[in-house]
Amino acid sequence: MTEGRIYLSELEVDALTELVNICVSRAAASLRQMVGRQVFLSVPSVEVVGRADAVNLMAERETGGLVAVRQDFDGAFAGRALLIFPEANSMALVQAVTGGELSDADMREFEDEALAETGNVVLNNCLATMANMLQRPLEMSLPGVMRGEGARLFQLDEAATADGVVLFLYINFAISERDIRGYIAVLMDLSSLDSLKTLIAEFIARVVGPSAAAEV
Amino acid sequence: MAGPHDMATGADMPPHLTGALGLWTWDLANERVRGDARFAALLGLDPGQARAGIAAADLYARVHPEDRLRLRIAVAGVAQGAEVFAREFRVTTTEGVRWVQARSRVEHVADRRPQSFSGVLTDVTEQKRVEDRLDVAQSAGGVGTFEFVDGFGTVDVSDQFCRLLGLRVADTLSVRTINATVEPGDPPLIGGVSNAEPTFRSEVRIRRADTGEPRWLAIQGERRIAADDAGPTTVGAIYDITAAKAAEAQLRELAATLEQRVEARTQERDRLWSTSRDLFGVVGQDGVLRAANPAWLRLLGYEDSEVVGRSFLDFVQADDLAAAGRMWSGGDAAVALEDLDVRMRARDGAWKWVNWTVIPQGEAFYAVGRDVTERKQLEQQLRQSQKMEAVGQLTGGIAHDFNNMLTGILGGLDMVQRRLASGKPAEAQRFIQGAIASAERAAALTHRLLAFSRQQTLDPSAVDANGLVLSMEDLLRRTLGERIDLAIELDPGLWSTVVDANQLESALLNLAINARDAMPDGGKLTIETVNVQLAAGAQSELAPGDYVQLSVSDTGTGMSPDVMGRVFDPFFTTKPLGQGTGLGLSMVFGFARQSGGDVTIYSELGRGTTVRLYLPRHLGEAPAAEPKAAAPAPRGAGETVLVVEDDPAVRPVVVELLRDLGYVALDVSGAEDALAILQSQRRVDLMVSDIGLPGLNGRQLAELARDVRPDLPVLFMTGYAAGASRRSDFLGPGMEMISKPFAAETLAQKIRAMVAAQSPGTAGAP
Ligand SMILES: Nc1ncnc2c1ncn2[C@@H]1O[C@H](COP(=O)(O)OP(=O)(O)OP(=O)(O)O)[C@@H](O)[C@H]1O
Ligand SMILES: [Mg+2]
Repeated sequence: MTEGRIYLSELEVDALTELVNICVSRAAASLRQMVGRQVFLSVPSVEVVGRADAVNLMAERETGGLVAVRQDFDGAFAGRALLIFPEANSMALVQAVTGGELSDADMREFEDEALAETGNVVLNNCLATMANMLQRPLEMSLPGVMRGEGARLFQLDEAATADGVVLFLYINFAISERDIRGYIAVLMDLSSLDSLKTLIAEFIARVVGPSAAAEV
Repeated sequence: MAGPHDMATGADMPPHLTGALGLWTWDLANERVRGDARFAALLGLDPGQARAGIAAADLYARVHPEDRLRLRIAVAGVAQGAEVFAREFRVTTTEGVRWVQARSRVEHVADRRPQSFSGVLTDVTEQKRVEDRLDVAQSAGGVGTFEFVDGFGTVDVSDQFCRLLGLRVADTLSVRTINATVEPGDPPLIGGVSNAEPTFRSEVRIRRADTGEPRWLAIQGERRIAADDAGPTTVGAIYDITAAKAAEAQLRELAATLEQRVEARTQERDRLWSTSRDLFGVVGQDGVLRAANPAWLRLLGYEDSEVVGRSFLDFVQADDLAAAGRMWSGGDAAVALEDLDVRMRARDGAWKWVNWTVIPQGEAFYAVGRDVTERKQLEQQLRQSQKMEAVGQLTGGIAHDFNNMLTGILGGLDMVQRRLASGKPAEAQRFIQGAIASAERAAALTHRLLAFSRQQTLDPSAVDANGLVLSMEDLLRRTLGERIDLAIELDPGLWSTVVDANQLESALLNLAINARDAMPDGGKLTIETVNVQLAAGAQSELAPGDYVQLSVSDTGTGMSPDVMGRVFDPFFTTKPLGQGTGLGLSMVFGFARQSGGDVTIYSELGRGTTVRLYLPRHLGEAPAAEPKAAAPAPRGAGETVLVVEDDPAVRPVVVELLRDLGYVALDVSGAEDALAILQSQRRVDLMVSDIGLPGLNGRQLAELARDVRPDLPVLFMTGYAAGASRRSDFLGPGMEMISKPFAAETLAQKIRAMVAAQSPGTAGAP
């Protein structure tokens, strides 16, 4: 990713991508368990952009007609994780996670609840893994369901320091045999680039072993 | 070569893939990697060794140092539970550096670390190269590309793709972000119905995300069957077609309004046709008018019906027929004719000068004629005043010459008187001779001046240019002054030419004056005549054929190319105010062209100038030689000549001369007395009359004389032919003119010729 290179080396971007890859994979595994079907993931795409640019970037992605389960987190780094799919898909997802045991009426009644629960399992798993991998504690909010036009899915905390960077990533997923497709997005406001670099270095050293990391 | 069955893993591989893909299994627990023959070949390993498995560290060692750690991180990611493994890296083999891609998918099982994972290895060196080139091509060609897996929320896009939509450059965009740029009502760019076809192309209107500017994009793509279970993939490209769309819209608009515009244009043209002051005519190749516009009525007084169906030439003055005939009878029908001045007869008999432009078009000619009568009149006046100007330039020198001549005459007569008084008449003869010579020179000079200042219309006749030059020699020498040497080099075998002699004289004088002005410190003026035969194209303006070339060269200042380019323009002059009108050369040019010839100028700054006149060769008989003054005067045989002259100094001289020559002379001082004689029974064989008589003038007298004696020959004497500008107009049949002063011999010749032409008796009494 060209933009990211301004802030992070290729290797650091790679490492970040891998970190997210690991987290989302774990989340996908829990989703798989819930729906009892295959869940396919795409190669993750990570962008690291300056804060000012990020505001534009987010605005561009601000589009309606989506349902999202959102979970915010705070700690060494703050951010938000989102499980996003088209509004038209949400009932199918509810049906998939509830194993078709509910009537249509019940499903509609529990739709938001079921979605929130699904999101909770998937995103929690993802974020927990991240905290684990980076060995930093993360505090997580309760999941909330957002929908419809104007939902500011990617809204950033205006108060955050202006010189920070924003990490923005996508992973697409598809649930086989169900027409359910969506994506997981993770948004991290990394107000201190130095601390991120430190975290990445630590992560690299941990996963490949200190000797291999020093080799580079 | 190792087959698929050789795979250490025992997994059965589709045979057709073995060549393209290397297969491998990564043992995470023992940090070893096994692979098939293709895998070995791609990494430059021994196939046997690869099959048996190599240490992961050995594999890393083969990876390009810059990519090594990135690969390690990816492998570590899988070990940590990442499901997707995809990494491109360089390996160094004996054949050089090669880009390879390793891909794998591992299913993560909660609480269990994967022990090993298997995948494929492909050579992407070529692909990388192509991608690099594609990148360049994409931004140069303004093509953005995308790849989209069915149903996924995001699309992999190229930088140019983002730029075309006015989005920030990114590798991935959400489908909704992309489709949000599309104008409401248009199909979405990504995931629309059209994208369902195996190949598709559609056009979509968008509004750029950054500027809001509306643009047209074409989207073209192809659907590919899923490479893995993720679903079918759409690969495509977008490019901007706004300009093409705008052109298309314009074209459609043009087509829609074409009819309307054609009609408007037709109306415009009709209006032009009917309201124009210019004559419009459509003429067939036979020269017959097919259509004429209302200007014919306004300018010339003809109704449409009086023009259409008649030959164009019917309206043209006889003198201009030859020129007008070229308008369509000329062989080269494809060439437009411009700027042709022709006199057209109006219905009331008046003549109008019309400047024609004729354009051939298919079977017909389109002729547009502008009334230039007024301009022509002005030109005529200007020409006249220009001549007077030239005369004015001469007067200083001429007055001096004239005084000299008068001195010769008066002095001579004085001497005669003295000799006679002193009783020595024999000695008087010498002085009489001298006085006559001086008087003759004076007469020649005034003759020239009058001829020059007289209004002349073009009266082409056979002219001996050599004779004309020689006759002007005297005048020229006086004009040029003492500091300029005059050389005359004449071709003794010179052809005669058909031009107006007076105009040619005028032209020569103009050229000589120009040359004189160019040589303020003196120099040499050369007048030369020579025959030339021009081949086709030798002189672009001239038809091939025979010409008489008259050139005037000087050793003066010469002209810069800038001046050269403008000398023929009327009123172009470099001379101080009041000294030049700038009409000299334009007159020379007009004369040459009108005579069917041309003028060329060759000039070099500081060296001099040569002006060449090309005049058409006269193909008939040689011009009648001027009567030689030395020839003995032919005598009469008692014929009766009536002399009408009011000047008492002239009349007796003429009468005496006639009697000396053997005629019977009757003399009267006015028209009335003359008529009385003519109405009587007296024999009259010839009437010699002054033109400027008191009361009835000579011309009117001749008119009345013809009433009573229809065949009476009349010889006019004139000092100044004002009003007789065109000889042929003035003179009827059997009439001649002689300019005063005249030599006795000239008069004798004229009278003899006229009387001889008259068969005896017919001119007798009524
Ligand atoms: N023989 C020559 N040598 C140098 N310049 C010449 C010569 N003949 C003509 N020219 C240039 O061409 C100009 C135009 O000549 P043209 O005879 O038309 O007009 P003019 O001599 O200036 O005025 P006009 O002849 O009416 O008295 C002159 O003013 C002069 O600059
Ligand atoms: Mg001149």
